[in-house]
Amino acid sequence: MTFQPVDLDKVLTPASAEGRKEFETRAFESLRSRFEAALDPRDRWGLTAVVPARHLRGAVRFLRDDPSCLMDLMLDITAIDYLGYPGHDGARFGVVYNLRSQRFGSNRLRLKVWVEEEDPVVPSVHDLYRIADWQERETWDQYGIVFEGHPDLRRLLNHVEFVGHPLRKDYPVRKRQWLSTNDPMILPLEARLEARGFQVLEHVAANSPSVEETDLLGKPAVEKVNYVEKAT
Amino acid sequence: MGAETTAAPPVTSVGSPEPPIGALHQDAGLNQGFVTTTIDAVVGWGRKNSLWPFTFGTACCAIEFMALAGSKYDIARFGAEFIRFSPRHSDLLVVAGTITYKQAPILRRIWEQMMEPRWVLSIGACASTGGFYDCYCTLPGIDEVIPVDVYVAGCPPRPEAYIDAILQLQQKIQDASYMSDRANRSHERIQIG
Repeated sequence: MTFQPVDLDKVLTPASAEGRKEFETRAFESLRSRFEAALDPRDRWGLTAVVPARHLRGAVRFLRDDPSCLMDLMLDITAIDYLGYPGHDGARFGVVYNLRSQRFGSNRLRLKVWVEEEDPVVPSVHDLYRIADWQERETWDQYGIVFEGHPDLRRLLNHVEFVGHPLRKDYPVRKRQWLSTNDPMILPLEARLEARGFQVLEHVAANSPSVEETDLLGKPAVEKVNYVEKAT
Repeated sequence: MGAETTAAPPVTSVGSPEPPIGALHQDAGLNQGFVTTTIDAVVGWGRKNSLWPFTFGTACCAIEFMALAGSKYDIARFGAEFIRFSPRHSDLLVVAGTITYKQAPILRRIWEQMMEPRWVLSIGACASTGGFYDCYCTLPGIDEVIPVDVYVAGCPPRPEAYIDAILQLQQKIQDASYMSDRANRSHERIQIG
Protein backbone atom coordinates (compact mmCIF):
# COMPACT_ATOMS: atom_id res chain seq x y z
CA MET A 1 0.00 0.00 0.00
CA THR A 2 1.66 3.19 -1.15
CA PHE A 3 0.20 6.68 -1.13
CA GLN A 4 1.60 9.23 -3.53
CA PRO A 5 1.27 12.89 -2.61
CA VAL A 6 -0.32 15.02 -5.29
CA ASP A 7 2.16 16.91 -7.40
CA LEU A 8 0.37 20.10 -8.25
CA ASP A 9 2.47 20.52 -11.41
CA LYS A 10 0.91 17.36 -12.71
CA VAL A 11 -2.70 18.35 -12.24
CA LEU A 12 -3.99 17.32 -15.60
CA THR A 13 -7.12 19.36 -16.12
CA PRO A 14 -8.60 22.28 -14.22
CA ALA A 15 -12.11 22.18 -12.88
CA SER A 16 -14.89 22.87 -15.36
CA ALA A 17 -18.54 21.93 -15.54
CA GLU A 18 -18.18 20.43 -19.01
CA GLY A 19 -15.13 18.41 -18.07
CA ARG A 20 -16.90 17.09 -15.01
CA LYS A 21 -19.96 16.03 -16.96
CA GLU A 22 -17.78 14.35 -19.55
CA PHE A 23 -15.85 12.53 -16.85
CA GLU A 24 -19.01 11.29 -15.15
CA THR A 25 -20.38 9.88 -18.39
CA ARG A 26 -17.11 8.21 -19.28
CA ALA A 27 -16.45 6.79 -15.83
CA PHE A 28 -19.96 5.46 -15.53
CA GLU A 29 -19.67 3.70 -18.89
CA SER A 30 -16.54 1.94 -17.64
CA LEU A 31 -18.18 0.99 -14.37
CA ARG A 32 -21.25 -0.34 -16.15
CA SER A 33 -19.30 -2.48 -18.57
CA ARG A 34 -16.82 -3.83 -16.02
CA PHE A 35 -18.60 -3.83 -12.65
CA GLU A 36 -22.31 -4.14 -13.47
CA ALA A 37 -22.98 -0.60 -12.27
CA ALA A 38 -26.41 1.00 -12.58
CA LEU A 39 -27.59 4.59 -12.23
CA ASP A 40 -29.35 5.63 -9.07
CA PRO A 41 -32.57 7.28 -10.29
CA ARG A 42 -32.81 9.36 -7.13
CA ASP A 43 -29.85 11.49 -8.12
CA ARG A 44 -30.39 15.15 -8.77
CA TRP A 45 -26.85 16.39 -8.28
CA GLY A 46 -23.81 14.59 -9.52
CA LEU A 47 -23.81 10.95 -10.43
CA THR A 48 -24.22 7.87 -8.29
CA ALA A 49 -23.21 4.49 -9.60
CA VAL A 50 -24.89 1.60 -7.80
CA VAL A 51 -22.57 -1.39 -7.79
CA PRO A 52 -23.08 -4.89 -6.34
CA ALA A 53 -21.16 -5.56 -3.14
CA ARG A 54 -19.00 -8.21 -4.83
CA HIS A 55 -17.72 -5.60 -7.32
CA LEU A 56 -17.21 -2.79 -4.81
CA ARG A 57 -13.49 -3.26 -4.25
CA GLY A 58 -12.87 -3.65 -7.95
CA ALA A 59 -14.80 -0.47 -8.73
CA VAL A 60 -13.02 1.53 -6.04
CA ARG A 61 -9.64 0.26 -7.16
CA PHE A 62 -10.49 1.08 -10.77
CA LEU A 63 -11.54 4.64 -9.88
CA ARG A 64 -8.38 5.12 -7.83
CA ASP A 65 -5.82 3.66 -10.22
CA ASP A 66 -7.18 4.06 -13.74
CA PRO A 67 -5.23 6.81 -15.54
CA SER A 68 -8.46 8.36 -16.77
CA CYS A 69 -9.95 8.60 -13.25
CA LEU A 70 -7.19 8.91 -10.60
CA MET A 71 -9.66 9.56 -7.79
CA ASP A 72 -7.12 9.82 -5.02
CA LEU A 73 -9.34 11.19 -2.28
CA MET A 74 -11.99 9.24 -0.39
CA LEU A 75 -14.10 12.10 0.89
CA ASP A 76 -16.56 10.11 2.92
CA ILE A 77 -18.04 6.71 3.59
CA THR A 78 -21.46 6.73 5.16
CA ALA A 79 -24.79 4.98 4.98
CA ILE A 80 -28.43 5.85 4.45
CA ASP A 81 -31.23 4.09 6.28
CA TYR A 82 -34.20 3.88 3.91
CA LEU A 83 -36.58 2.52 6.56
CA GLY A 84 -39.92 4.20 5.93
CA TYR A 85 -38.56 6.18 2.99
CA PRO A 86 -41.47 7.19 0.71
CA GLY A 87 -41.64 5.08 -2.39
CA HIS A 88 -38.62 2.97 -1.48
CA ASP A 89 -38.82 -0.72 -2.23
CA GLY A 90 -35.72 -2.80 -1.74
CA ALA A 91 -32.76 -3.15 0.58
CA ARG A 92 -32.88 -1.11 3.74
CA PHE A 93 -29.40 0.41 3.77
CA GLY A 94 -27.40 2.15 1.10
CA VAL A 95 -23.67 2.45 1.83
CA VAL A 96 -22.31 5.49 0.03
CA TYR A 97 -18.72 6.19 -1.05
CA ASN A 98 -17.86 9.76 -2.07
CA LEU A 99 -14.77 9.97 -4.22
CA ARG A 100 -12.91 12.98 -5.54
CA SER A 101 -9.95 13.49 -7.83
CA GLN A 102 -7.27 16.04 -7.07
CA ARG A 103 -5.63 15.42 -10.42
CA PHE A 104 -8.58 15.96 -12.73
CA GLY A 105 -10.06 19.23 -11.65
CA SER A 106 -12.83 18.64 -9.15
CA ASN A 107 -14.20 15.43 -10.58
CA ARG A 108 -16.45 13.66 -8.13
CA LEU A 109 -18.34 10.39 -8.18
CA ARG A 110 -20.50 8.51 -5.71
CA LEU A 111 -20.70 4.78 -5.36
CA LYS A 112 -23.61 3.14 -3.63
CA VAL A 113 -24.00 -0.43 -2.41
CA TRP A 114 -27.37 -1.78 -1.32
CA VAL A 115 -27.24 -3.73 1.94
CA GLU A 116 -29.98 -5.89 3.39
CA GLU A 117 -30.96 -5.48 7.02
CA GLU A 118 -30.55 -9.19 7.78
CA ASP A 119 -26.98 -9.34 6.50
CA PRO A 120 -25.45 -5.83 6.56
CA VAL A 121 -22.02 -6.75 5.22
CA VAL A 122 -19.89 -4.98 2.62
CA PRO A 123 -16.21 -5.54 1.84
CA SER A 124 -13.79 -3.14 3.49
CA VAL A 125 -11.66 -0.77 1.41
CA HIS A 126 -9.35 0.23 4.27
CA ASP A 127 -6.34 -1.04 2.34
CA LEU A 128 -7.15 1.12 -0.69
CA TYR A 129 -7.66 4.37 1.23
CA ARG A 130 -6.14 4.81 4.65
CA ILE A 131 -8.90 7.23 5.70
CA ALA A 132 -11.47 4.51 5.05
CA ASP A 133 -10.36 2.89 8.31
CA TRP A 134 -12.05 5.50 10.48
CA GLN A 135 -14.86 6.19 8.03
CA GLU A 136 -15.86 2.54 8.13
CA ARG A 137 -15.59 2.47 11.90
CA GLU A 138 -17.91 5.44 12.11
CA THR A 139 -20.41 3.87 9.72
CA TRP A 140 -20.38 0.69 11.75
CA ASP A 141 -20.83 2.68 14.95
CA GLN A 142 -23.78 4.72 13.74
CA TYR A 143 -25.54 2.31 11.36
CA GLY A 144 -24.31 -1.17 12.20
CA ILE A 145 -22.89 -1.87 8.76
CA VAL A 146 -20.24 -4.58 9.01
CA PHE A 147 -17.16 -4.01 6.85
CA GLU A 148 -15.74 -7.41 6.10
CA GLY A 149 -11.96 -7.50 6.38
CA HIS A 150 -11.64 -4.37 8.50
CA PRO A 151 -8.82 -4.96 11.00
CA ASP A 152 -10.24 -3.02 13.94
CA LEU A 153 -13.99 -2.52 13.71
CA ARG A 154 -14.60 -0.68 16.99
CA ARG A 155 -16.88 2.22 17.80
CA LEU A 156 -15.45 5.57 16.81
CA LEU A 157 -17.84 8.24 18.12
CA ASN A 158 -20.11 6.62 20.69
CA HIS A 159 -18.76 5.43 24.00
CA VAL A 160 -17.69 1.87 24.75
CA GLU A 161 -20.78 0.93 26.76
CA PHE A 162 -23.18 2.13 24.05
CA VAL A 163 -25.64 -0.49 22.81
CA GLY A 164 -27.19 -0.22 19.38
CA HIS A 165 -26.65 2.05 16.40
CA PRO A 166 -28.16 5.48 16.98
CA LEU A 167 -28.56 6.75 13.41
CA ARG A 168 -30.77 3.84 12.43
CA LYS A 169 -34.31 5.06 11.95
CA ASP A 170 -35.67 2.56 14.47
CA TYR A 171 -33.36 3.68 17.29
CA PRO A 172 -35.63 5.16 20.01
CA VAL A 173 -35.44 8.95 19.80
CA ARG A 174 -35.67 9.41 23.57
CA LYS A 175 -33.20 6.70 24.49
CA ARG A 176 -30.14 7.89 26.46
CA GLN A 177 -27.20 5.75 27.54
CA TRP A 178 -24.87 6.52 30.44
CA LEU A 179 -21.17 5.78 30.45
CA SER A 180 -19.91 4.57 33.81
CA THR A 181 -16.15 4.86 33.37
CA ASN A 182 -14.13 7.98 32.71
CA ASP A 183 -11.27 6.32 30.92
CA PRO A 184 -12.07 3.19 28.91
CA MET A 185 -8.78 3.60 27.06
CA ILE A 186 -6.70 2.81 30.14
CA LEU A 187 -6.63 -0.97 29.72
CA PRO A 188 -5.43 -0.87 26.09
CA LEU A 189 -2.97 1.82 27.15
CA GLU A 190 -1.57 -0.40 29.89
CA ALA A 191 -1.28 -3.28 27.47
CA ARG A 192 0.63 -1.08 25.00
CA LEU A 193 2.93 0.21 27.73
CA GLU A 194 3.71 -3.29 28.92
CA ALA A 195 4.38 -4.40 25.37
CA ARG A 196 6.94 -1.59 25.11
CA GLY A 197 8.78 -2.67 28.24
CA PHE A 198 7.13 -0.44 30.82
CA GLN A 199 5.91 -1.87 34.07
CA VAL A 200 2.42 -0.95 35.22
CA LEU A 201 2.62 -0.65 38.98
CA GLU A 202 -1.04 -0.26 39.81
CA HIS A 203 -3.73 -1.67 37.61
CA VAL A 204 -6.90 0.35 37.42
CA ALA A 205 -9.00 -2.73 36.91
CA ALA A 206 -7.83 -4.12 40.24
CA ASN A 207 -8.77 -0.88 41.98
CA SER A 208 -12.01 -0.01 40.26
CA PRO A 209 -14.64 1.12 42.76
CA SER A 210 -17.26 -1.24 44.01
CA VAL A 211 -20.97 -0.65 43.62
CA GLU A 212 -21.11 0.75 47.17
CA GLU A 213 -18.78 3.56 46.17
CA THR A 214 -21.25 5.16 43.80
CA ASP A 215 -21.53 8.91 44.03
CA LEU A 216 -24.30 11.08 45.38
CA LEU A 217 -26.30 10.92 42.16
CA GLY A 218 -26.48 7.15 42.12
CA LYS A 219 -24.23 6.73 39.12
CA PRO A 220 -21.08 4.64 39.35
CA ALA A 221 -18.11 6.43 40.82
CA VAL A 222 -15.21 7.10 38.51
CA GLU A 223 -12.00 5.17 38.52
CA LYS A 224 -9.04 5.96 40.69
CA VAL A 225 -5.73 7.31 39.55
CA ASN A 226 -3.04 4.87 38.63
CA TYR A 227 0.68 5.38 38.25
CA VAL A 228 2.93 4.07 35.57
CA GLU A 229 6.66 4.01 35.89
CA LYS A 230 9.35 2.69 33.68
CA ALA A 231 10.80 -0.67 34.61
CA THR A 232 14.33 -0.53 35.94
CA MET B 1 1.13 50.70 65.84
CA GLY B 2 3.19 52.95 67.92
CA ALA B 3 3.96 55.31 65.08
CA GLU B 4 1.48 57.93 66.27
CA THR B 5 3.08 59.85 69.11
CA THR B 6 1.77 63.37 68.82
CA ALA B 7 -1.91 63.40 69.70
CA ALA B 8 -3.80 60.80 71.61
CA PRO B 9 -6.22 59.06 69.20
CA PRO B 10 -9.84 58.61 70.19
CA VAL B 11 -10.71 55.46 72.02
CA THR B 12 -11.92 52.68 69.72
CA SER B 13 -15.64 52.65 69.28
CA VAL B 14 -16.36 49.34 70.91
CA GLY B 15 -19.87 50.29 71.87
CA SER B 16 -20.71 52.17 68.69
CA PRO B 17 -23.85 51.45 66.62
CA GLU B 18 -24.06 48.12 64.84
CA PRO B 19 -21.91 48.20 61.67
CA PRO B 20 -23.07 46.37 58.56
CA ILE B 21 -22.17 42.72 58.62
CA GLY B 22 -19.04 41.98 56.68
CA ALA B 23 -17.87 45.59 56.53
CA LEU B 24 -14.47 46.54 57.82
CA HIS B 25 -14.78 48.78 60.84
CA GLN B 26 -12.71 51.56 59.44
CA ASP B 27 -13.30 54.01 62.24
CA ALA B 28 -12.40 51.46 64.88
CA GLY B 29 -8.80 52.41 65.38
CA LEU B 30 -7.58 52.45 61.78
CA ASN B 31 -5.26 55.31 62.60
CA GLN B 32 -3.72 53.09 65.22
CA GLY B 33 -2.87 50.49 62.62
CA PHE B 34 -5.53 47.85 63.16
CA VAL B 35 -9.05 47.11 62.05
CA THR B 36 -11.71 44.88 63.46
CA THR B 37 -13.92 42.61 61.42
CA THR B 38 -15.32 39.07 61.39
CA ILE B 39 -13.53 35.96 60.19
CA ASP B 40 -16.45 35.21 57.85
CA ALA B 41 -16.04 38.61 56.19
CA VAL B 42 -12.28 38.26 55.73
CA VAL B 43 -12.39 34.67 54.46
CA GLY B 44 -15.26 35.42 52.08
CA TRP B 45 -13.49 38.56 50.84
CA GLY B 46 -10.34 36.59 50.19
CA ARG B 47 -12.09 33.72 48.47
CA LYS B 48 -14.28 35.78 46.20
CA ASN B 49 -11.44 37.98 45.01
CA SER B 50 -9.00 35.19 44.24
CA LEU B 51 -11.01 32.74 42.14
CA TRP B 52 -8.76 30.51 40.07
CA PRO B 53 -10.80 29.28 37.10
CA PHE B 54 -10.35 25.94 35.40
CA THR B 55 -11.97 26.06 31.97
CA PHE B 56 -13.69 22.95 30.68
CA GLY B 57 -14.30 24.51 27.28
CA THR B 58 -15.82 22.30 24.59
CA ALA B 59 -17.58 24.72 22.23
CA CYS B 60 -18.15 28.35 21.25
CA CYS B 61 -18.82 29.39 24.86
CA ALA B 62 -15.12 28.81 25.50
CA ILE B 63 -14.29 31.32 22.74
CA GLU B 64 -16.38 33.88 24.61
CA PHE B 65 -14.44 32.99 27.75
CA MET B 66 -11.25 33.90 25.89
CA ALA B 67 -12.75 37.30 25.15
CA LEU B 68 -13.58 37.60 28.84
CA ALA B 69 -10.03 36.74 29.85
CA GLY B 70 -8.59 39.18 27.32
CA SER B 71 -7.85 42.82 27.90
CA LYS B 72 -11.21 44.23 26.85
CA TYR B 73 -13.42 42.49 29.41
CA ASP B 74 -10.56 41.51 31.70
CA ILE B 75 -11.64 39.23 34.54
CA ALA B 76 -8.40 40.25 36.25
CA ARG B 77 -10.52 43.08 37.63
CA PHE B 78 -12.37 40.46 39.67
CA GLY B 79 -9.27 38.62 40.78
CA ALA B 80 -10.01 35.67 38.51
CA GLU B 81 -7.39 36.08 35.81
CA PHE B 82 -5.12 33.27 36.95
CA ILE B 83 -6.50 30.51 34.74
CA ARG B 84 -5.19 27.13 35.77
CA PHE B 85 -5.03 24.06 33.62
CA SER B 86 -5.00 21.63 36.50
CA PRO B 87 -8.15 21.04 38.53
CA ARG B 88 -5.99 20.56 41.59
CA HIS B 89 -4.89 24.20 41.46
CA SER B 90 -8.27 25.76 40.86
CA ASP B 91 -11.47 26.39 42.75
CA LEU B 92 -13.80 27.58 39.98
CA LEU B 93 -14.86 25.10 37.30
CA VAL B 94 -16.10 26.93 34.19
CA VAL B 95 -18.02 24.46 32.04
CA ALA B 96 -18.38 26.24 28.71
CA GLY B 97 -19.87 24.11 25.96
CA THR B 98 -21.71 20.96 25.03
CA ILE B 99 -21.10 17.95 27.26
CA THR B 100 -21.79 14.51 25.85
CA TYR B 101 -22.49 11.28 27.67
CA LYS B 102 -18.99 10.23 26.66
CA GLN B 103 -17.52 13.25 28.44
CA ALA B 104 -19.75 13.20 31.50
CA PRO B 105 -17.58 10.83 33.60
CA ILE B 106 -14.49 12.88 32.69
CA LEU B 107 -16.17 16.09 33.85
CA ARG B 108 -17.25 14.36 37.02
CA ARG B 109 -13.71 13.18 37.71
CA ILE B 110 -12.25 16.63 37.12
CA TRP B 111 -14.74 18.10 39.56
CA GLU B 112 -13.80 15.46 42.10
CA GLN B 113 -10.13 16.37 41.70
CA MET B 114 -10.76 19.99 42.69
CA MET B 115 -10.20 20.87 46.31
CA GLU B 116 -12.91 22.43 48.41
CA PRO B 117 -14.27 25.03 48.52
CA ARG B 118 -15.06 24.77 44.84
CA TRP B 119 -17.66 26.38 42.64
CA VAL B 120 -19.11 25.60 39.21
CA LEU B 121 -20.28 27.97 36.50
CA SER B 122 -22.52 26.43 33.84
CA ILE B 123 -22.00 28.60 30.79
CA GLY B 124 -24.51 28.71 27.96
CA ALA B 125 -27.53 26.76 26.83
CA CYS B 126 -25.71 23.48 26.16
CA ALA B 127 -23.96 23.14 29.51
CA SER B 128 -27.10 24.21 31.37
CA THR B 129 -29.76 22.20 29.55
CA GLY B 130 -28.22 20.42 26.56
CA GLY B 131 -29.43 23.25 24.34
CA PHE B 132 -30.88 22.20 21.03
CA TYR B 133 -28.89 18.97 21.08
CA ASP B 134 -31.83 16.89 22.25
CA CYS B 135 -30.32 13.66 21.00
CA TYR B 136 -28.80 10.32 21.88
CA CYS B 137 -25.37 11.65 22.72
CA THR B 138 -25.74 14.96 24.56
CA LEU B 139 -26.06 15.36 28.30
CA PRO B 140 -29.20 17.39 29.15
CA GLY B 141 -27.37 19.74 31.49
CA ILE B 142 -24.23 19.24 33.56
CA ASP B 143 -26.25 19.27 36.78
CA GLU B 144 -26.94 15.64 35.95
CA VAL B 145 -23.40 14.87 37.13
CA ILE B 146 -22.07 17.79 39.20
CA PRO B 147 -23.65 20.54 41.34
CA VAL B 148 -23.84 23.97 39.71
CA ASP B 149 -23.66 27.34 41.44
CA VAL B 150 -24.54 29.80 38.67
CA TYR B 151 -26.17 29.15 35.30
CA VAL B 152 -25.61 31.58 32.43
CA ALA B 153 -28.12 31.79 29.59
CA GLY B 154 -27.08 32.48 26.01
CA CYS B 155 -25.83 30.70 22.93
CA PRO B 156 -23.11 31.70 23.49
CA PRO B 157 -23.47 34.31 26.27
CA ARG B 158 -21.71 37.62 25.83
CA PRO B 159 -18.75 38.38 28.11
CA GLU B 160 -21.00 40.76 30.06
CA ALA B 161 -23.12 37.76 31.02
CA TYR B 162 -19.98 35.98 32.24
CA ILE B 163 -19.10 39.03 34.34
CA ASP B 164 -22.61 39.09 35.77
CA ALA B 165 -22.25 35.42 36.67
CA ILE B 166 -18.91 36.04 38.38
CA LEU B 167 -20.40 38.91 40.35
CA GLN B 168 -23.32 36.73 41.43
CA LEU B 169 -20.91 33.98 42.39
CA GLN B 170 -18.83 36.47 44.38
CA GLN B 171 -21.94 37.50 46.27
CA LYS B 172 -22.71 33.86 46.98
CA ILE B 173 -19.17 33.25 48.22
CA GLN B 174 -19.32 36.35 50.42
CA ASP B 175 -22.66 35.28 51.86
CA ALA B 176 -21.39 31.83 52.81
CA SER B 177 -20.19 31.49 56.39
CA TYR B 178 -16.78 29.92 56.84
CA MET B 179 -17.20 29.71 60.60
CA SER B 180 -20.55 27.92 60.50
CA ASP B 181 -19.17 25.49 57.86
CA ARG B 182 -16.26 24.81 60.18
CA ALA B 183 -18.56 24.33 63.13
CA ASN B 184 -20.70 21.91 61.11
CA ARG B 185 -17.65 19.91 60.12
CA SER B 186 -16.50 19.70 63.75
CA HIS B 187 -19.98 18.65 64.74
CA GLU B 188 -19.96 15.85 62.18
CA ARG B 189 -16.55 14.71 63.40
CA ILE B 190 -17.74 14.61 66.98
CA GLN B 191 -20.82 12.65 66.07
CA ILE B 192 -18.82 10.15 64.06
CA GLY B 193 -16.13 9.78 66.70
